[in-house]
Amino acid sequence: MSPSPQTLVFGAVELRLDERRLLVDGQAVGLGSRGFDLLKALVAKRDRVVSKDELLDEVWPGLVVEENNLQVQISGLRRVLGAGAIATVAGLGYRFTLAPESGDKSAARTPQPAVAIEALVPAAGATSASSARVLVADDNKVNRLLLCRSLELMGHRVSSAENGRQALDMLRQHRYGLLLLDIAMPEMDGFELLRLRAGDAALREVAVIVTSAIGGVDPVARCIELGADDFLHKPVDPVLLRARVESSLARKQDRDRQAEALRRLLPQGKLQAQHRVGVTVLVARVSPPDLSAVTPLEALQLATSWSTLMLDALAGCGGELVQFQGDGLMALFDDTGVAVQAARGMTEMTSLLNAERRHLGQPVCVVGVGLARGDVVVGVVDLAQRSASACIGSPALRAEHLSLASARDGQAMLVDALACAALPAGCCEGACHESSDLLAYRVR
Amino acid sequence: MTLPLIDPRRFEALQANAGADFVLTLIEAFAEEAPGLVTQLRRASADDDAHAFESAAHTLKSNGVAFGAVRFAEMARALEWQGLTSDTSAIDAVAATLSATLAALRAMAHT
Repeated sequence: MSPSPQTLVFGAVELRLDERRLLVDGQAVGLGSRGFDLLKALVAKRDRVVSKDELLDEVWPGLVVEENNLQVQISGLRRVLGAGAIATVAGLGYRFTLAPESGDKSAARTPQPAVAIEALVPAAGATSASSARVLVADDNKVNRLLLCRSLELMGHRVSSAENGRQALDMLRQHRYGLLLLDIAMPEMDGFELLRLRAGDAALREVAVIVTSAIGGVDPVARCIELGADDFLHKPVDPVLLRARVESSLARKQDRDRQAEALRRLLPQGKLQAQHRVGVTVLVARVSPPDLSAVTPLEALQLATSWSTLMLDALAGCGGELVQFQGDGLMALFDDTGVAVQAARGMTEMTSLLNAERRHLGQPVCVVGVGLARGDVVVGVVDLAQRSASACIGSPALRAEHLSLASARDGQAMLVDALACAALPAGCCEGACHESSDLLAYRVR
Repeated sequence: MTLPLIDPRRFEALQANAGADFVLTLIEAFAEEAPGLVTQLRRASADDDAHAFESAAHTLKSNGVAFGAVRFAEMARALEWQGLTSDTSAIDAVAATLSATLAALRAMAHT
């Protein structure tokens, strides 16, 4: 019997939309409602990369939600569907990669790394501003309809508000790339909205073009002083509208890229130096078993896939990422038990990744995880040429050492004596000297 | 010189840019909102509310320009610039021109 239109089959994965059920290998898998909605959205849009904003809007409509929640849900889906089922596309979002059921059952069951990671990453300078989320705030229906129509014809997703107050509420509830703002509006005018935006970091991320029929230079100057990106006189010329919208979105995209680059380099921002007492340092590092067996690009792809999964696992446990080197990371935990839980999640994710790589005939990765407890200083070393996060202290060095030993000995993780002491009795076993002053324990 | 009711080039440009079907929707939105704005002009005049008066005149002007309704837009612009007036004849003239403008717009949209 062929599946109903409400049932989608991707090899071993069966998604029953009407029943809100997921089956893997014929077994029902318990997904939370958010997890199911997320999977449904990814599957529905599997022909393209879906942005994080779009997913947040679909899964948590009307709510302001931290990205961590999305990462946790993605991580949960990967555990169920396989690590490669959902690809992370750096800076763009996620894509569901499993191929739908075909006549050839065995072929359909093969995991499909349908899209190479490099093919999903836009070339430098490429613009994806072609479909932005735009809000039009104008009290006049004719103007509002006309602006919305013009923007929709440009390919943007458009919402509208009838006054400044409504626009402000919508800006705080949803993520927009651009606001087209009228000045003379009831309840809250455009100037007031611009004033509020100037004092709100989240709202300042939204580009603003003021559209108004108010004459004279002074109102234009006032809008620019209040932070508007551009000004268009009404009636708005469609050619000018397109040019200004594209220009504003391109500038916003540049700003977003810079902020994203900075965030990637310094995930915690430019922190003041902090003395962290009694924390558990987790160090994880990946490598191919034999560098000569892979091309440089394959080695980097392996590190990219692994790092994606590890950051998701870390976010799911609330670990604080203090260093990220591409092929390794260092994170801090207040609770050693949670650190061990994170390390187990990482190990599990790595196993999934390796299973998929074996299936595809690719070399697997070797991972080492080390945990050490004690006091460290974290902060940013800020030079004129560049900045970098630093984690200074002997626990950081011990965790590094233990991660190397873990990879060398094929252990899932190794912990030092202080971390071992912070765990419930009987959790650790097999102490051995890694060096004269470093005892390594395995975790049961 | 009396301005034409509608500037056909502007109207056709609007149709070309937004789509002829959509312009019909737009005209009906204008027909729905504009009488209320004329009422706002009269009320503001009676209440001596300069801000409300200028705001209504401003919106009417803006809509008129959008459709290429040059005569109506010019009359609304004159009201906006002149500001609050107790002389209602200018408002009566705008109201009369609005009816003619809407009829002309609907006729052009259907041709």
